[in-house]
Formats: sequence, structure tokens, C-alpha cells
Amino acid sequence: MVKPKNGIKITGREPPKIGVYICWCGINIGGVVDVPKLCDYSRSLPNVVLASEYKFMCSDIGQGMIMEDIRAGKVNRVVVASCSPRMHEETFRRACEEGGLNKYLFEQANIREHCTWVTMNDIPGATRIAKDHIRMAVAKAGQLKPLEVTTVKVEPATLVVGAGIAGINAALDLANSGYKVYLVEKSPTVGGHMAQLDKTFPTMDCSSCITTPKMSEVARNPNIELMTYSEVVALDGYVGNFKARIEKYPHYIDQEACTGCGHCVDICPIECANEFELGMKPRKAIYISFPQAVPGEYTIDMNHCIRCGICKEACPTDAVHYNDISEYVDIKIGTIIIATGFDPYDAKRLEQYGFGRHKNVINALQMERLLSSYGPTEGKVKRPSDLKEPESIVWVQCVGSRDFTGRGKKYCSRVCCMYATKQARSYKEKHPNTQILIFYIDLRAFGKGYEEFYYDAAKNYGIKFIRGRVSEILEAENDNLIIRAEETMLQRPLELEVDMVVLSIGLEPREDIDDIARIFNVTATKTEDGFLMEAHPKLRPVDTLTDGVFVAGNVVGPKDIPDTVAQAKAAASSAATLMSRGEVEIIPYYAMVIDHKCAGCKSCIGLCPFNAITFNEIESIAEINDILCKGCGTCVAACPSKAIIQNHFDDVQILPMIEAAIPKKSQKEEVKVE
Amino acid sequence: MSSQELYEPYILGIFCNWCSYAGADGAGTSRMQRPANLRIVRVMCGGRIDPQFVLNAFMNGADGVMISHCHPGDCHYIEGNLKTVRKIPLLKRYIAQFGINPKRLKYIFVSASEGVVLTEIAREYSQELKEIGPNPITGGN
Amino acid sequence: MASNGLKFALFLGCVIPNRYPFIERATKAVFGKFKIELIEMEGASCCPAPGVFRGFDIDTWLVVGARNITIAEELGVDIALMCNGCYGSLLEVNHTLKHDKEKKKMVNEHLAKIGREFKGTAKIRHVIDIMYHDIGPEKIRNRTKYGRKVPLNLNLAVHYGCHLVKPRDIRPWDNQVENPTFFDELVEISGCKSLNYKDKFMCCGAGGGVRGAFKELSLDYTREKLENITAAQADAIITGCPFCHLQFDLGQVEVNNIFKDKISAPFSIPVLYFTQLIGLAMGMKAEELGMIRSPDLKGVPPFTPVKPILTKIGESA
Repeated sequence: MVKPKNGIKITGREPPKIGVYICWCGINIGGVVDVPKLCDYSRSLPNVVLASEYKFMCSDIGQGMIMEDIRAGKVNRVVVASCSPRMHEETFRRACEEGGLNKYLFEQANIREHCTWVTMNDIPGATRIAKDHIRMAVAKAGQLKPLEVTTVKVEPATLVVGAGIAGINAALDLANSGYKVYLVEKSPTVGGHMAQLDKTFPTMDCSSCITTPKMSEVARNPNIELMTYSEVVALDGYVGNFKARIEKYPHYIDQEACTGCGHCVDICPIECANEFELGMKPRKAIYISFPQAVPGEYTIDMNHCIRCGICKEACPTDAVHYNDISEYVDIKIGTIIIATGFDPYDAKRLEQYGFGRHKNVINALQMERLLSSYGPTEGKVKRPSDLKEPESIVWVQCVGSRDFTGRGKKYCSRVCCMYATKQARSYKEKHPNTQILIFYIDLRAFGKGYEEFYYDAAKNYGIKFIRGRVSEILEAENDNLIIRAEETMLQRPLELEVDMVVLSIGLEPREDIDDIARIFNVTATKTEDGFLMEAHPKLRPVDTLTDGVFVAGNVVGPKDIPDTVAQAKAAASSAATLMSRGEVEIIPYYAMVIDHKCAGCKSCIGLCPFNAITFNEIESIAEINDILCKGCGTCVAACPSKAIIQNHFDDVQILPMIEAAIPKKSQKEEVKVE
Repeated sequence: MSSQELYEPYILGIFCNWCSYAGADGAGTSRMQRPANLRIVRVMCGGRIDPQFVLNAFMNGADGVMISHCHPGDCHYIEGNLKTVRKIPLLKRYIAQFGINPKRLKYIFVSASEGVVLTEIAREYSQELKEIGPNPITGGN
Repeated sequence: MASNGLKFALFLGCVIPNRYPFIERATKAVFGKFKIELIEMEGASCCPAPGVFRGFDIDTWLVVGARNITIAEELGVDIALMCNGCYGSLLEVNHTLKHDKEKKKMVNEHLAKIGREFKGTAKIRHVIDIMYHDIGPEKIRNRTKYGRKVPLNLNLAVHYGCHLVKPRDIRPWDNQVENPTFFDELVEISGCKSLNYKDKFMCCGAGGGVRGAFKELSLDYTREKLENITAAQADAIITGCPFCHLQFDLGQVEVNNIFKDKISAPFSIPVLYFTQLIGLAMGMKAEELGMIRSPDLKGVPPFTPVKPILTKIGESA
């Protein structure tokens, strides 16, 4: 017997008195179907004692109606016919609870997303479906049993995956609130793409100046355990009680012994491509990502190292160990924040721009490195073919974004208009006589200070903005580039020769995003953009549909630094809110074995991916752990003896729904006459 | 002939909560219109789908049953959907032996962002069922 | 004729039989050496032209094109053709009718009147496609390595043309369209080098009805191409299409005349169809390849003399 808040005793065995509440949802539902008529219809259904309607059932007044009827003893089961349960199931459940009814004696009929919104012009059809959904919900409501919610303790620790600016901020906020944070980063250093940038718009703040202090903070904070050159390889558990396994890749260098003298780098004979410098400068097989890397750890890249032994011999503290292997760490956390960032678009896919073929066509990230004072040319922008400082540069916008040809993504990458303007201004500041043209489709300067920044760039820095697409880029003599474009405002084609071209590439989901989604049991959108999906695009931008797992930054979609930091802080706050209560409620949809029905066939044991089913050898029956059970129902469907039942989604609830879904023949006749 | 014209197929959908039901919600939010034939029962996972649900639906007169869950590899409960992938093709052959056209059982994968896919399939399927005719148990073939 | 299993119906089109039968002669000769069988298509007509015909009425274009394809279907083989325009037409007619049930029905209703039916059993292959995918540049290079005492060592300006590569989604070039290399690979044999000249992938100017309706405009295109090719110092222009060939060959004479005040000097770059080049590299004689006028070969002689090439490579005229 379950005792809810206000003490109305429900055993689940009394005859159901169902109250049906139909929502107009403004005109979303009420503008298509006749709500009062639906009320009349509802009253004719078995076990329904009353049917009411209101414009917005989810409002205070709507919820109040439900609570009043419960308190007055009129109803002991509630059906709300309105939007999708994925929207407001929790809202109405809480209203029931406030009214004194066990919150699992509630069922929602979806007559909006699955009805009026998809059959807007077919009123008889929409009415048919609405009636069916209400009838189905009433049939299920009659069979619902009161359930007790399970509460579990929450581990006051968070796993933050990715140590770019989003991960760093989230980690710091949580650590400073007193929670333990495990910050895991795949590359050898923290900082992410932001560490590759020169200046940031619109303030022209130096990116390193604002990032490096946070980078060192994150390494020094006593509550943060920083694991770089590491990856989460397995995840188990549920909200509040996750278990993660982290693989720490070997650096092949004993970090305690290493003094950071850098002698090994000087004498290493192998040169290979430098990922941080985007291929514009080589690095050695033994390396540190960049001078200000945090942690300041040297690493050997075994894909290129030939184990010649020179560095090992030369190291004054004997820190080089070729035979190191990965270390595995198991951690327990209550919440997870995924902040793994983005990949830049590969401009080779747009062959007409010659990226990868023409020497002096580079992408915007490479330009950042050229502009950066610790970049390959120490802050002097020099063009790759002859290291001359260009006297004319063209930026091509929307490379790989706003692309409907299939060779890029359809969305706008949000930051490219601004970063191109910023890069152009950076260069113009040092070389005021340079001819600079930016070819754009639209100029998106939406943020705080952005429009003013763009205006300033055009008016006071003499940067020319030309509205029109570049159709192709050819290589001319002495490696100059010939741009062919359209100048739409003057309605004419344009051909000009310049020293260098920068392609404003878009931001794409990481190559390994499907693997990330799988490990953390979240969804990556399968259509179009491919980023991780947030729980609700408007109201839950940093939650995922998996309780306890949050997302922040570019892993959800392209965005600038202010928005990234805002999301990081939001995710940290959400995680903290969850952990601050010390315990969390688990939805009690678990399955149970009916002992006397179980034949001991063991069919179910191997089916559970969560290992919630064990076999009791002594009694020869299966047993289900209700904390581990997540309520998928696979064992319920599979049991040949029908010995497993499930809370809230049992056969006794679903079969009546199915039977009620299709009206009896006589009712069908009625439809035919219409 | 005229009863055929007025015949509106009754399709019962059984959708998993995390992918397909969400996808159907997405179709609704984007106002993607479809013929008024589909009613949807929500289960938490495709793995919960018991062949008995399908048989009961047909016995009660459904003209079509549409089962939808996550793409293989994306199940919220890891592999519940894979169990169903094994059940349904077998079920299709089984119902044929009862004289129910196996085309009446539609089996699709719809993810949370694939409202458009669901709508297209629902439209085609309604049309297909109109051509096949009403459920034999209530007078059809 | 001995065959290595490859057998095609050879579609001739219009320009080749009427003006440049040496293209057919050279192609048959080279294909023979690679043991590819080419059979006649009795009753074949104009493809019909993708620019003019399709521009006037798509359904007529579909029916006439389908009729040509049915000839090969009845012979039970795929079609091989030597012209970019015919390729554009027949390939796209074939693809449309294989995928559009309504159009196929319409076409077959018309074809029924003459006792024919389009079934969709044939494939349409350009001879460049056959040489590249069925034989392969490696094999061709091996066959032409020792074909001559002295290798050709020519600098070539390859002209791809338009319908050969665009639109890319139904063509077999593995997505190459902005910067293709497959045709270059076929002709870099016997020491020849394919040059990178400005606007290499620009249209010759002939197609789409332009040469017919706006002759001077079409020749302006040709003039620009000739200037770029001359600047790259090419010994010869290589074509894969008789219409492009005509535009560069006869067109050169026309350009020299019409634009004589605009150009610095009259152009005289020999134009070769690519199978002529492959034949030369294999050591075949200039007559076999139609490079020297012979009484049994009808049609027109090359308007721009090819003798300079023959002299350059040491063949007597």
C-alpha cells in the first residue's frame, strides 16, 4: 500500500474512477478538433467519471483543476489529453502528487504532436485519431498501479570529457563548488581549438591571454584530477552512479623525472606533420604540443618514432621509457559533461577552390596559426610558396557551410563571418596598405558588439566586403591566385589576381562523434547536422535524454566563445543541481519475476545488457535487481511463461490499449457513413 | 467499390520512447502532414514489443501494424532493438499462415530526428493499405 | 575477330560519318589491337543532339534516343560511342528511362508504333570510359612503351569537353569533375606529357546550339582556348569528341580569319583524336589512323594540317 503526500490511500485494487482532462492548447488542439464534443465522448468511455476541458492544462489553473478533483475524491486515475507526454508528463504527474494521488496513476494521451499537428486540414480524421488516443489512454489508466519511486545516492563527482574552453570552464565551476571533477582530454594538452587562435572577436582579446590562466588553474585545482592523453573507453551505470573506465595512453616519458629541458626535441632525427600547426610546420617524433601546453608534458609519437635511442641516451634524468603501456583507471561519478568540441571542415572537398593543390590557398585555422605570435612564422603572416608577406588577400566565406550540394553541411557555422573580419583586421593593423576582400553571401554579425566590429572593419580599416560567391580559384604565375567571383550588387562577374586566399571553413561534428554518442548512450542527430542532440532545443539546451549526462559547447552545434562558455557554465550548474540533493529518483519502470510462474528456463538471463537478471540456483528461478533494471522490457517480452511483469508497461496495461485502439465494427460503420 | 473508397485504414503503431516516439513528436512539431490513419502506443524500448501485441492488433481489426524503434546500434538500452530485429521478420512469415497479408506489418527504424522519414513512410503505407483493402477479419483480404 | 570478351555496338552519331570518318577508322584500329569487338548498329540515327534537340522538346529527345538504344538492346550488347554529345544524350536518356516509370511508358507507347521496345538492358560507354576502366592506363602504357623506336615525346593540350564529365552524379569518373585527371592518364604514354594550361576545362564553344546560332561567340571561346594552349606551348590538341575536334580544327581557320586583328599570330596547332595518338604510340602507320588522306577515306581532311606532328615524330608524310 502506498501513502502519497496528502494521505489518500490507494491500494490499486479499488475500481478506477477516471478523470479525463482535455486541453485546447490554445488553438493547437482546439482549433482543429471540437474539444467539448471530445469531452462528451470521453464521458461515454468505461470507468470515466468526469471529463473537463481547459485552454492550457499545463498552466496553474489547469493543474489546479486536477488537484481539486483528486482532493474532492472524485477521481483516482487521471488522463490528460494534450501534447506529447515527452513534454509535460512530469508536470502533470507532479500535479497529481500535489493533489494527493500517486503520480504513476496518470496517463497522457497525445492529441497534438501525433494528431492535430499532423492532420491539420482533415478535421474528421483528426477527431478520429483524438478519440482513439483518448480511448487508449483511458483503457491503460484503468489498469495502472501505484508505484513507489526509488531514490539512490548520488556520487558527488563529475566526469568532464574534453578540456577545451567548455570543458575547462565546466570543470572549474564544479570544482569550486566543492565537487570532485575528473577532466579527461584526448590530446596531450588542454586548451582545445581556442589555444590555436590568435585574437578573439569582437574585443580583439588575445586568445592565449584569456585561456592560459584557466588552463593552469585547471591543472592546479585540488578538486580536479586532470587526465590528458586519455580517453573514456567504457561507461556503465545510471544517473548518480556511473562507472567509467579511462585509458591513459603512454607518453613513454616519466613525467616525474622529466625536467622539460627540451634537449630530446633538439636531437630527435625524425620530423613529421604537426597537428597543432595544421601541417604548416613540422614537429619531432618526441614533442610538446606548443610551448604553453598544460600539462607541460613531452610525448613520443610512436607512429613516427624509430626507436633509435638517441633521446634516451641524451636525457639527463633518464626519463625516456620505450616500453611503457597504457594505464587504466576506473572512476565513480554521479554526472557527466560531454564537451568534446568540433572538427574543422576539410576544404579539399570543394575542389574548385584548390585547397591542397594551390600553394597559397589556406584555411582560416591555418591563418590563425600564421597570425599567432607562437605560430610557425612567429606572427608574421607569410604565404606558403615564397614566404612573402601578402599585399592582397581574399577571404572566401561559407566554405562547407550553407551548402546544399552535398559536399558540405546545410547549416550556417555561425562564427565565420566574424572570424574572417577579425583576421582581416588583424592583418590590416600591421599592413595598412594591403588589399583585402571578403566574399560573402550574408554577413552574420549577431552578437554583442559584433555589428559594430564589422562596421568599424569596413569603414575604418578599409576592408572590402563583396556580396557574391567565388566560383573558382586558379593558380597563376608565381603562385598568385586568380579569383573568379560574382559581384551581385553590381551585377557583374569579377576576376582578380591576389597573393593569398583564406577559406572560411565551417565547423563540423567530430569524426568520432558516433563513438562518443555510443559510449555515453546519447544520440547524435542522424539527419543533417550530425551533432549531439540536446533534450529540447529551446528549454533544455545542455541536457541530453540520458539522465545525468550533459553537453556543452561545439559538440552540440557550432557556436562562438561566449555561447560556449555560457553552455559550459549551464551544464556545470545542471550537474551541480542534480548532485546537490545527494540523491536522485529513479523512474520505477523495472521488471519483476513472478516466482511461481518462473519455469527456470534461463531464457532471460543472457538478454539483459545491464546484468540485472541473475539466476537463483537454490530456488531455480530468475531474479531481477530493481536498481540495475532500466525498464526496457526485453525480458518481459521474451519470457515464454509470461512470468516477468513490468511496472507501468506490463501486458495488462498495453493489451487493453491495443484492444481499445481499434473501435469495434459498429463504430467503424459509423465512420463509413461519414 | 464505394466502401473501398470510404475505407480509411486503421494503423496501429507501436513506437519506442527514445527514438521513434520522439521522431513522431518531431514530425508533429514541424507540422509534417500525413493521412489520419496512425495511432501510436508508446513502449520504452523496441525490445518490449511482444509478438502478441501484433496478433492482438490484427485480431481486433487493425488494417496495419507499424513497429518502429531505434536504428541498430543506437538503442537507449543498448541492444533491446536488436532482439526485435530478430523477432519481426519471423512474425511476418507467421501471420501469412493465418491469412494475413504480411505487408500489413510494417517494420521501420526511425530516430529522434527523422520525423521526415516517418511522415514519408506513413503516407506511402496508408496508400498501400488502401490498395490492399481492409483487414480480412473484419471483411477484406 | 578474336575477342577478349569485350564486345560493343559502335554508335557513330553524325559528325564522324559525315566529316571525320578517320575518327572511326583510328578507333576501330586501336580497339582491334586490344581485342575489343565493335559491331555495326544498323539503322542508328542522330543521337539526338543534347543541346538543340533536348532544348526544344524533351519527350521527342527521349523517344529518338531510346530508339537508338533499342538497336543495341536487340543485339544484346552495350553501346560504345566516340562523341561527348552522343554520350551526354544517350547516357542521360538511358538513365532517365531506367528510373522514371511514366517517361518509360510514354516512350514505349511511341516505339510500339514501329515495333520496338525500350527495356533498359544496355549500358552506354564512351570509348574513353572503355579505355580507362576496361583496359586501363597501365596496360596502355605497357603496350605503347616499345611501340616505336623513338618515343613520341609530345607536349599535349588535352581537351576534356563538357558532356564527358558533367553532370557528375551518373558518370563513371569517381566524382572527378572540377579537376579530373583520367583523360590525362590515358594520353601520357610514349613520353608524352599532358600540360596544365589556363582554363583547361573550359568549353570549346561548339555545343548547346551555340556554334549553330551564335557562330562568332562560339569562336571567341575557341580563340581563348587556343591562346591559352599556345601559351602553354603545346605540340597538339587532344580531343575525345568530334564536335570539339571540329571546333578546334575548322574553328582554328575560322578564328584566324574572323579575329585576325585581335590575335598576335594565326594559330596552327594540330588537332588529334585521342585514339590517333594511342595508335601512333603503338607504332601504327599514319594512314591506318587516317592522318594522311587516302582515297578510300571519305569525309573532309583536317583543316589544320597534322603534317607538323608527323614531321616532328619522324614519320614521312
